[in-house]
Amino acid sequence: MQTSKINFMKKITLLLTFVSMLTWSAFAGGYQVRLQGQKQTGFGLIGTPFSFGASSIFYNPGALSMMKAKTSFQIGASGILSNITFQKSATNYQAKTDNPLGTPFYFYGATKITDKLAVGVGVYTPFGSSAKWDNNWAGRFLIQNISLSAIFIQPTLSYKINDMISIGAGFVYAMGNVELNKALPYNDNSSANLVGSTSSMGYNLGVYFKPIEALSIGVDYRSEIIMEMEGGDAIFTVPASLSTTISKNNKFSASLPMPGNLDVGISYNITEKFMVAAEINYVFWSVYDSLNFTFEENGELLNSNNPRLYENVMIIRLGGQYILNDKFTVRVGGYYDPSPTNENYFTPETVSLNTTAFTCGFTYKPMKNLCIDVSYLHTLGAETDNSYDPGNFAGTYKTQASIPGIGISYNF
Amino acid sequence: MKKKYLLYILVLALFTACEPKIDEFTPEKGNADLTTYLAMGNSLTSGYASGALYISGQENSYPNILAGQFELAGGGTFTQPMMTTEAGVGIGSLGLSSKLVLGMSTDCLGTTSLGPVPFDPAPDQQAYSAELFTSVAVDGPYNNIGVPGIKAFHALVPGLGELNPFYGRFATDPATDMLIGEVAKVNPTFFTLWLGNNDVLTYALAGGVLDSITPVPVFSGAMDAIVGTLTANGAKGAIANIPDITAIPYFTTVPYNGLPVTDEASVAALNFGYAPLNAIINQYNGDTLAFTLGANPFVIADASLPWGMRQIKAGELVLLSIPQDSIKCAGWGSLVPIPEQYVLKADQITEIETATMAYNDKIAELAGTFSLAFIDMNTYLTDFETGMVFDGATYSTRYILGGLFSLDGIHLNPRGNALVANYFIDAINVEYNANLPKVIIQDYDGIQFP
Repeated sequence: MQTSKINFMKKITLLLTFVSMLTWSAFAGGYQVRLQGQKQTGFGLIGTPFSFGASSIFYNPGALSMMKAKTSFQIGASGILSNITFQKSATNYQAKTDNPLGTPFYFYGATKITDKLAVGVGVYTPFGSSAKWDNNWAGRFLIQNISLSAIFIQPTLSYKINDMISIGAGFVYAMGNVELNKALPYNDNSSANLVGSTSSMGYNLGVYFKPIEALSIGVDYRSEIIMEMEGGDAIFTVPASLSTTISKNNKFSASLPMPGNLDVGISYNITEKFMVAAEINYVFWSVYDSLNFTFEENGELLNSNNPRLYENVMIIRLGGQYILNDKFTVRVGGYYDPSPTNENYFTPETVSLNTTAFTCGFTYKPMKNLCIDVSYLHTLGAETDNSYDPGNFAGTYKTQASIPGIGISYNF
Repeated sequence: MKKKYLLYILVLALFTACEPKIDEFTPEKGNADLTTYLAMGNSLTSGYASGALYISGQENSYPNILAGQFELAGGGTFTQPMMTTEAGVGIGSLGLSSKLVLGMSTDCLGTTSLGPVPFDPAPDQQAYSAELFTSVAVDGPYNNIGVPGIKAFHALVPGLGELNPFYGRFATDPATDMLIGEVAKVNPTFFTLWLGNNDVLTYALAGGVLDSITPVPVFSGAMDAIVGTLTANGAKGAIANIPDITAIPYFTTVPYNGLPVTDEASVAALNFGYAPLNAIINQYNGDTLAFTLGANPFVIADASLPWGMRQIKAGELVLLSIPQDSIKCAGWGSLVPIPEQYVLKADQITEIETATMAYNDKIAELAGTFSLAFIDMNTYLTDFETGMVFDGATYSTRYILGGLFSLDGIHLNPRGNALVANYFIDAINVEYNANLPKVIIQDYDGIQFP
């Protein structure tokens, strides 16, 4: 019996398999958020083949030196109202998230130093989101809630080789925060809380090509950025009888990749007022192969490797813009964003489904240099049966998100 | 105008947006008529757990959990002969006792550790007796007629209520009633039957020194009669087989080689102490006793040997009932052989396993003959020896930390019962082309660490 007690104390810690952890349940593919400009958002989130001023810093640094104004400032934000519904397989159990409002934002400022050379800096949030399940929901041993925010700062240079072609490059400094909670099976109040922040670096390269006045083509590559988290705080709330077995305060390390993107877009002015555009984004999600946790204390028992097995995806986007008059321009768009997840390693921390989206937006120009840009994005994640096999947690997921956004452009 | 229109779309979209809809699960009873459900069985069916029958144990019995799911597909009211206390009543070697809970206790060495302790350390025998013997028959008949302690043939014994107070308390006339007679009173349209464990278990729990294994023909005859009665009015049902005792923590928690000898001096002392006995054993070409540094097999009593003792062999089982303090402080297992009632020896285990297999053959045969949903609980429990994951938590047959068994190491805790209910549902869905929803296991209490 003595031996059995010791064994069981040891084994208890084994129960702490961190099957699922860090992540950003988002409204779109994986945990990527592409709301970096309201004009582009209204346009089906197409950005590469446009020169819409300073927001080219994110969408295509190559286009920045092609902007018409000498100086451009753009600022804006969106509100992500996302909802996930889950139906547990073989049960009559349904759960819905109570996600907090996600608020991606951007700020860009750029100016042409010479006719050919433009410089700028952008601050934007290309990855992030949150999922908040009920604390007592059926998947609580996998995840209760999670939130991520990542802020990128990108100083950028762009050079116009001639009137037809320009190139650009940006250096990316990325800062990320994550907090997550999950329940532990010792009593009704046992849980683990993980909080961490980190920073990393990457780059953004773009080429903009305008062979004729009506046609433009853009190509952009944003590098993958691996967020290595060291010494994050792990707080374990466990029953008093286990307090000597599992220390309350621990440290963890984990790494989460933010995948690279290769975007190619084309736009064409059918008339002076009517422009259409198409874009494909190839997202290198396969870098997200597993999520691994290392703990400072009791590492041999707590450390875990959790498969995710994401696959690269290609997003297809279409959109159009019509200039109504001097004051109003309207836009519509849509896209299909396939899920990068693996159906057998699908966790409720990142509920990313094959997503179809509709966008619209308009620009109101009250005075010469000022634009007010409004967008609306609606996404539908297709109802899908998925399972997280290592946790034996299966069911049907469906998502929906409404994302209104507003921004201001000031160009002179 | 167009601006207005756009704004209108925006506002409308905002308010209609969120709340993706997934079709709700549609429960269907298929070919089963779940109107009146009768659960027949032993302690596992009654809701007995952690060494006693008590309110929350009964509320979380697998039949009660099942009845809740049946209700979604036409099932009616399900009644159980409820106890009135949360302490409950169990029948132990020292009289009536309460259930066990997880708590701190101090052993003979002065070491305090976490383990099972009585919920009520000083059970008032009179009050417990009143709780156990007060009849609740007036509110019967009951849908759950699980009776702790019964073997299959007990269901056919007139006056069982006089012998077994757990039946006596809900029998209309304990002196004459047969448990099987409850079937006609309830007149079920659907039944579950999980019976036969005690036909080997009572013997096993006594280390094979008391009681006996029910002969297979007796078991078979009883089961024929029981299933015949249950199905007499056309009721359909589900039948579960019985697990091997090696899947139950009561028999697997204390290791056979649980005697640690940590220094050479002790090794030498033990070997020296047993030298005279070994000399005798050698004359009979028997197995001598030998001790080495590290984990050693316990010394156990064995009446079949002329010298009365030997070291336990791998595969033989030490029962959870063994007094730990006697091992730690009174030299049990080293200087003093462990008495036979705390050990199952190889030949006894073989007897038990042979009988278990024969019983399970009979149960499978009955399931086939009567076209009943069949639950292979024996195989399921074996699967849990290495641990199974559900919804991100691991469950196994290990004592306490496995998360399925109650603190007595024999009966299931509410999560274990929920799991059993889900296995019943799986089998019923297949056999009767039904679509009953399963329950969420972790919504039921596991072991609650203090």
